[in-house]
Amino acid sequence: MNAISRLSLFFGGILFCGSVLAAPDAESLLKHSDQARGGNLPGIIWEINLTSRDGDKQGEPQRLRVMAVDESSVAETLEPARFRGSKLLQRERNMWLTRPGLSKPIPISPRQRMSGQASNGDIAATNYAGDYNAVLSGSETIDGEACHVLDLTAKHKRTTYDKVRYWISVKREVGVKAEFFSLSGKLLKSARFEYNNSIQHQGHRIPFVSRMTIRDALIDAETTMDFGTIKVQEISPSEFDLGQLQ
Amino acid sequence: MRLVVFFLCTYATLASAGESVGKSASWNGTLYGYSNHTSLRNDSLLNPGNTIARMPQRSDHLEARLNIKAENQSLRFTARPIVTLREERNAYGATAQQEAYLSQWQLRLKASDYVNLSAGREVLNWGAAQFRSPSSPFYFNNGRSNPMSELSGMDILKASLTTDDMGSLYLVKVLDSGYASQAQDPWRNSWLLKYDQYGDDWAAGLVGLKAANRAAFYSMQGQYTVNDGMLIYGELASSTQTAVLNSPADITLPYSITPESARKSTGLLGWAYTLQNGQSIIGEYLHDENGYNRAEQRAYFQRASAQPGIALGLAPRLLGRDYLHLVWQSNLMESEEYWRWMLTHGITSGDNELAGYGEYSLNPHLSAFMLGVLTMGSSRQEFSALQHNSITAGLKIVFP
Repeated sequence: MNAISRLSLFFGGILFCGSVLAAPDAESLLKHSDQARGGNLPGIIWEINLTSRDGDKQGEPQRLRVMAVDESSVAETLEPARFRGSKLLQRERNMWLTRPGLSKPIPISPRQRMSGQASNGDIAATNYAGDYNAVLSGSETIDGEACHVLDLTAKHKRTTYDKVRYWISVKREVGVKAEFFSLSGKLLKSARFEYNNSIQHQGHRIPFVSRMTIRDALIDAETTMDFGTIKVQEISPSEFDLGQLQ
Repeated sequence: MRLVVFFLCTYATLASAGESVGKSASWNGTLYGYSNHTSLRNDSLLNPGNTIARMPQRSDHLEARLNIKAENQSLRFTARPIVTLREERNAYGATAQQEAYLSQWQLRLKASDYVNLSAGREVLNWGAAQFRSPSSPFYFNNGRSNPMSELSGMDILKASLTTDDMGSLYLVKVLDSGYASQAQDPWRNSWLLKYDQYGDDWAAGLVGLKAANRAAFYSMQGQYTVNDGMLIYGELASSTQTAVLNSPADITLPYSITPESARKSTGLLGWAYTLQNGQSIIGEYLHDENGYNRAEQRAYFQRASAQPGIALGLAPRLLGRDYLHLVWQSNLMESEEYWRWMLTHGITSGDNELAGYGEYSLNPHLSAFMLGVLTMGSSRQEFSALQHNSITAGLKIVFP
């Protein structure tokens, strides 16, 4: 082996070890974790059972059927019975609410909460990779599971939260915990995620979110969203057309 | 009858083999039972002694509003039949009425991911405005001021194209005004073209409508989300009105009736601010060139004392030209209770109307509601020309 070959082997070895030991790419981690929450898919349809508690007061359970693609979603209320058929359409930052018999859709501001601690953004597909700039800030263990910790900062104003601290499992590459902050850095809410569902996508079976529990940081209030009846399928643009919302 | 058979066949076809992929069928309904009491003006110029309009002073309503839906991957059928029993009483006695009609229905074919074709009875109403909808040729009074009212659709054929870049184009053939269609229906056989475009935080639409023997209607509407809590919006229309009652400011001149007015504009500007607790406050300003100015409105009421029938029957859709409308409402997404206060100020005549609506859920299937309307003004002002106040209270039951 001549000197050049030895030198090549030496630098090749360094590059190989570097790629193995280098910190993971925050963006790709985020993209992967998004998929387990409905992001980067051709379209997703799911049902959400939503229960809220504010102090000792238990809120009325809700059941929603949600269709989502990228920044568009339609959430149709299935329960409670008196709001059956109500639809919340979200297109980018525009939102409308309509109900059977209502004279026309009512525009809703992004500040209108869905129910309890859940925001409208929480019921739609997650696209943190598209909405936030991510920086890997360390690693921690959550419930005995090693996690990367990512600090996310909103890329644009249509995000539900300004800043997010996100714990992504090293092994499963899914988000297990999140803390949501205001622009000033005030903690607003925290959330925990469970992944007991799975979906088939591009020939792979991937874990999928089954429960999101959101806790208010300022008051004793909690909202739980259970996700089920999940279908990955293409959804035509006309499903998000305000004029077809009847 | 043939229509009912057609609907039943359509529903059965779409609902059959419900286990097949993409097929589903469902129905639900709401039963309303409510009473209304209206305190009429004794000194009304437009309706002296209630001899002209014979408005009910007390009414009891039982109403079933149903929602029927059946769909498969390419066809969707929806219908909203309404059955009403109503008893109305005034100084002239009591009358009972029954009505059963299809308020809305639609049979929609998804021709492709981007093209939909539909036939049916649809409420063609759009824009963000609450007080009135200038951008809709059919529903200037959009029903938002009265939570008990429900608009019935227009009979139409519709083709829509939705594009990937957040735009939608609709071509609509309006057959007639639907359930409320009269022999002299102004919208029969008209054509409507509408284009909507959506951005990150804005939405806008353009409308053009051509009815036979009538000048075209044009309108535009748009909304912009300024920040998380603030939405601003506007609507603008240019149109003519038919059977217009002219009320010259010179009181020596009589009323005159013009078959079709000159082209005039109507515009509305509004904002909606959502508070941190989810409640929202809405403010709207409407300018309608079709209304009377202050002098014309004064002359209108002076002439009405001699010709109340003409004055009431042919009154413009709004008497004045300028209005302010304020709304304060609870969180729309709140499922257990909802309330809404509405204050309207007629800038032209200086009168006011205050309305309040509240709804409270007693259990998942039963809610109680109440609507109160209080007018503040004289018999020579618009809101108080016919009544002092009215109150409606009732229950609604959701089934199944």
